[in-house]
Amino acid sequence: LTYPLAHGIGGIKDLPVPAWLFFYGAAAVLILSFAALAALWRDPLLKHGLPGREVPFLERLVFSAPVRILFGAIGVALFAVVFAAALVGDADSGANLAPTFVYVVFWLGLVPIVVLIGNVWPAVNPWRAVARAAGRLGERAGVRWEPPLEYPERFGRLPAAVLLFAWAALELAYPNSANPRHLAIAIALYSLVTWFGMLAFGTEPWLRSGEAFSAYFDLLGRLAPFAVEEEDGRKRLRLRVPLTGLAGAEARAGSVAFVAVMLGSVAFDGLSRSTWWTDRVLSVRDSIGADRTALADLAVTGFNLLALGGMVALVAAAYLVAVDAARSAARGQLRPEDFLRSLLPIALVYVVAHYFSFFVNQGQVAWRLASDPFGNGWDLFGTADYQPRYDLLTPNVVWYAQVGALVVGHVLGLVVAHDRAVDVVRSRRLAAKSQYPLLALMVVYTLGGMWLLSRG
Amino acid sequence: MSGRGRAVVAIGAVAAVVVLFFVFRSGGDESDEATTTEAVTTTATTTTTTETVSTTTGETEPPPPPPPPAGPVRARITVRGGEVVGDRRLLKVEQGKQFVLIVNADVSDHVHLHGYDLMADVAPGKPARIRFEASIAGRFEIELEDRGLLLGQLEVRP
Repeated sequence: LTYPLAHGIGGIKDLPVPAWLFFYGAAAVLILSFAALAALWRDPLLKHGLPGREVPFLERLVFSAPVRILFGAIGVALFAVVFAAALVGDADSGANLAPTFVYVVFWLGLVPIVVLIGNVWPAVNPWRAVARAAGRLGERAGVRWEPPLEYPERFGRLPAAVLLFAWAALELAYPNSANPRHLAIAIALYSLVTWFGMLAFGTEPWLRSGEAFSAYFDLLGRLAPFAVEEEDGRKRLRLRVPLTGLAGAEARAGSVAFVAVMLGSVAFDGLSRSTWWTDRVLSVRDSIGADRTALADLAVTGFNLLALGGMVALVAAAYLVAVDAARSAARGQLRPEDFLRSLLPIALVYVVAHYFSFFVNQGQVAWRLASDPFGNGWDLFGTADYQPRYDLLTPNVVWYAQVGALVVGHVLGLVVAHDRAVDVVRSRRLAAKSQYPLLALMVVYTLGGMWLLSRG
Repeated sequence: MSGRGRAVVAIGAVAAVVVLFFVFRSGGDESDEATTTEAVTTTATTTTTTETVSTTTGETEPPPPPPPPAGPVRARITVRGGEVVGDRRLLKVEQGKQFVLIVNADVSDHVHLHGYDLMADVAPGKPARIRFEASIAGRFEIELEDRGLLLGQLEVRP
């Protein structure tokens, strides 16, 4: 998270990736890129060549009423505890479960589950569970809610992109993001927007278009082995070959903006952790004076917001430039949405590279706080006295994980982009030609990500 | 090239300029920073070495040269009028070394070193002194707990 958190989450950062490892990583990226280019253009294997399989037993279990109700109840119960802690628990973010739960357990902890298993967010999404339960109860009482508006499909995911940006702004640009009371306000506002959207447009349309976390985990869930697919109006669970979920285009409007926010926000987090940036932020504070904290917070938030917006714009501009070049090379046979899914592995490894150590360190704090969520001396699970160990990860492990993740993500992105190109572009030669700009884009993203991690 | 394409290229060019600006600015700053922090640690080590030298010269028989005892690395931070004096924001130490952090302040508060989770009271005329072995590598924030004022960061390098 950002500095200066008065009592912020963490207060511990990784050492910057050393220059030599940076250079090895960069060399690996370049060599693997050329190897990938030489070997990869054949047939759209991901799109057509590798069918998944059905898992009837698991499917019945996952979609059974008890399981559905159980997961929904878990989500709502956790939401209630966290919101109550934020509202009335200890005002010290280090003694309150809410900030650590929201930023670490929920936001980071769901990522490995969603990517390694499947998108579980719809099952535990408390806003969805409450809306559906309310709908059921209403039906039983003989009242049926018909959403008054139809969602204008031309906006696509744009509302979700805006809300994801707002979330990133809260987490990364706002200096008091870990303050439980401020977090409570943010949760209340987001809940209002979400339920209002569901009332106005219907639950599922809003989840598809305006619920930032649904869109986020839906996109990341494309990397997962298990997927839920609609078939004749019925939900089916499928086990698929890795990466095949990334075949195809992400055609809904607002998708480019959404993915740009995903990537750009993590890039800004990398920038904002550097000593250079914290010094800039400090000088903004100094110029305002130590006694006018509220004004300084506001100025710092604005300053951070500019950079956050700039990073998102940078990521989007780089993508659009690359796709534009690819389209020229393929004589107009490609559109911007064609390669969006090749950025998803990159978005994932950005998260891994930036937050893996933070998750390990701060996750232990969650373990402790789970026993005493309000900071009033409870010891529900006997873990209230657990002392987090910050020496579990050595800098070497963190560095190799960071650089390794970025290199792997880059190669996966290339594979997905190639698959798309040979699927869409008629001539194999043109398809190959269209991949040079994409290759350049991936190299820029990967080196940019590594460069940010190597900043002191 | 379409009008939109041209606009995109223009944005890209602006972005590139911004990146270059960042690169050069950060390059310049880094060297400044390195010198200031270097200064802190070197003054610290020189004080300790002179101490060891003065004790050894008092003896008549020069003992066989022992491995120089690694004295603790010291760093001092002063807070005046609610702000950190000077520009000392990144203290560096090698992992395994003893480290002594002394904080002088004209206010009553607690000094908190994150990660190691060490706390010491500070008050006008009563500096906080935190002595510990820098066993965990990483970057740790040092702050005045009640005020939430960041005093600096400790970087423990392996």
